[in-house]
Amino acid sequence: MVEQVEKRIWERIFKWSGSAAGMAVIMTVVVAVAATLDRGGYVLVNTVVTGGMLALVAMGLALVFGVMNIPMFAHGEYFMIGSLTAYYVFTPINNYITMHPDSALTFIGPLITIVAAMIVGALVGVASEVLVFSQLRKRSRENWVMNSFLLTVGLSVVLINAHQLFFGADFKGITRYWAGPPITVMDVFISRDRAMSFALAAIVVVVFWFFMTYTRTGRAIRAVSQDENGALMVGIGLKGILLLTMSLSCSLAAIAGASLLFMYPAYPSVGLEPLYMAWFVVILAGLGNVLGAVMGAFMVALLKVLTIEYIGSGWDFVVPSALIIVVLIFKPSGIFGSEVRGILDK
Amino acid sequence: MLLEVKNLNAGYGFLQILRDVSLTVDTGEYVCLVGPNGAGKSTTLKTIAGLVSPMSGEILFKGEPIGGLPGNKVARKGIALVSEAMNLFVNMTVQENLAMGAYTIRDKRLQKDRLDFVFDLFPRLVERRNQLAGTMSGGERKMLAIGRGLMSNPTLLLVDEPSFGLAPLLTESVFQSLDTLIKQGMTIMVVEQNVTKTLSVTDRGYVLENGRIELSGKSSDLACDAHVRKVFLGV
Ligand SMILES: Nc1ncnc2c1ncn2[C@@H]1O[C@H](COP(=O)(O)OP(=O)(O)OP(=O)(O)O)[C@@H](O)[C@H]1O
Ligand SMILES: [Mg+2]
Repeated sequence: MVEQVEKRIWERIFKWSGSAAGMAVIMTVVVAVAATLDRGGYVLVNTVVTGGMLALVAMGLALVFGVMNIPMFAHGEYFMIGSLTAYYVFTPINNYITMHPDSALTFIGPLITIVAAMIVGALVGVASEVLVFSQLRKRSRENWVMNSFLLTVGLSVVLINAHQLFFGADFKGITRYWAGPPITVMDVFISRDRAMSFALAAIVVVVFWFFMTYTRTGRAIRAVSQDENGALMVGIGLKGILLLTMSLSCSLAAIAGASLLFMYPAYPSVGLEPLYMAWFVVILAGLGNVLGAVMGAFMVALLKVLTIEYIGSGWDFVVPSALIIVVLIFKPSGIFGSEVRGILDK
Repeated sequence: MLLEVKNLNAGYGFLQILRDVSLTVDTGEYVCLVGPNGAGKSTTLKTIAGLVSPMSGEILFKGEPIGGLPGNKVARKGIALVSEAMNLFVNMTVQENLAMGAYTIRDKRLQKDRLDFVFDLFPRLVERRNQLAGTMSGGERKMLAIGRGLMSNPTLLLVDEPSFGLAPLLTESVFQSLDTLIKQGMTIMVVEQNVTKTLSVTDRGYVLENGRIELSGKSSDLACDAHVRKVFLGV
């Protein structure tokens, strides 16, 4: 009995490792380990830290496409809004911390900042849905993907310019969130900020996954992504779900923007790089596939880190783009196309 | 009257399909809607269920106007639609699909009762409970679609083509399940291609042609009607 179960599990793993998804994951791990042995642990650390935050942005992108069918090109601006909010919330906190280094704010301050960015991101998401996308939906759902895509591009331009107009085009950054000496892992010094940003990303991904899998509302979101009419037929209100989806995915991007403020200062077009990277991820993983986006994020992060490491930092967009072209030719539905389940799985 | 449709006009965009459709369904009745392909049968059911919005006319459910309400509100009033396309959640398992069917029920015990009820009606679904809906056969999907509709404990069940694409044996078993439901006091309105079979099991029927109700009456009378026999049975 036990043997049989064991055999079946092995069979599954074997089958999976032969599929595109399995091969990609295994190859990623092998390459990551090889590069780490070759160049040192910091390759792995950089990959993991970049990948974690990229996962947040890409998950939101996948969610908005999977549930609302919007190819979102304003997602970088929610990242930007997150970093901008974080800058204005953290600067006074930081001043206070500098004066009172022993206060509890030294630890809680950064968390307050990130939560504030998350809330602002969610609110801006709600505003975008109410003021922009629901207006289009009311008028016509014909040619929806193209029309909503054009709207997101317009929204992106408006938000970038609004930032420039009201907050200026200069870099608004901080030097660090968490004070203290760096942590050492595998002989690599990791700044506290990087370590915390990875921890945060990991927590958010896990909480999000739980939410989508086990809560009533999370299941309703997945139901809408799989069949809108089916969702209506079982009594799920579409409007509420769409609103929630948009605000969730925007707040994910804002969390990423806020957490990375120590690396990427807030400026009008700071969101473009994460946006492109996140699009690489969702194309690689399969549009609308949320769980795939998490794995894809680490693959793209590894690719980026390795390109910078072995080829040169000017190439870090070229190599991923080239890979995307190859993927689109051979596996247009993405590597995780149909392998992973749910919307955590489209 | 449980359901009253009065002078309903509906369609898609500017394209009008239903013209002046009026029909009623009383509590406990087994009513059918038959007609040639493209007559607007599915459109009628979808309009009642709130998936297509009416252009004009009235839809009353338990005396309350429901025309123009979105599908989720209609579902909450106690109307369940088992659509032609079934609209299952293909990346969820059978059990998850059924759980979604009970979305409007908050009480865990009641959910369990409904699940037992559906598994009782379709034992086949029990064996398949962990299979993804998207990988099921046509017949199993139909059972799942009906099962999901029943999970919310609806007052009125609208079923679009229960026998579509099913082998005779399965068709028989699906009709038997509907029969069981009727015996338990459920109200059902069914749309079917299999006119002979449908008229032999239902109480009353409507004949829809080109978006208009052309005939209505007791099913046994319709089965003998010259027009019906000419249009559907070719005799
Ligand atoms: N989503 C839609 N958009 C535009 N026209 C539609 C749509 N759905 C159905 N129609 C048209 O409405 C008419 C009636 O369709 P409906 O599905 O109600 O027919 P039906 O009586 O159910 O036919 P069948 O027996 O083939 O299922 C058809 O001419 C069809 O082409
Ligand atoms: Mg039909």
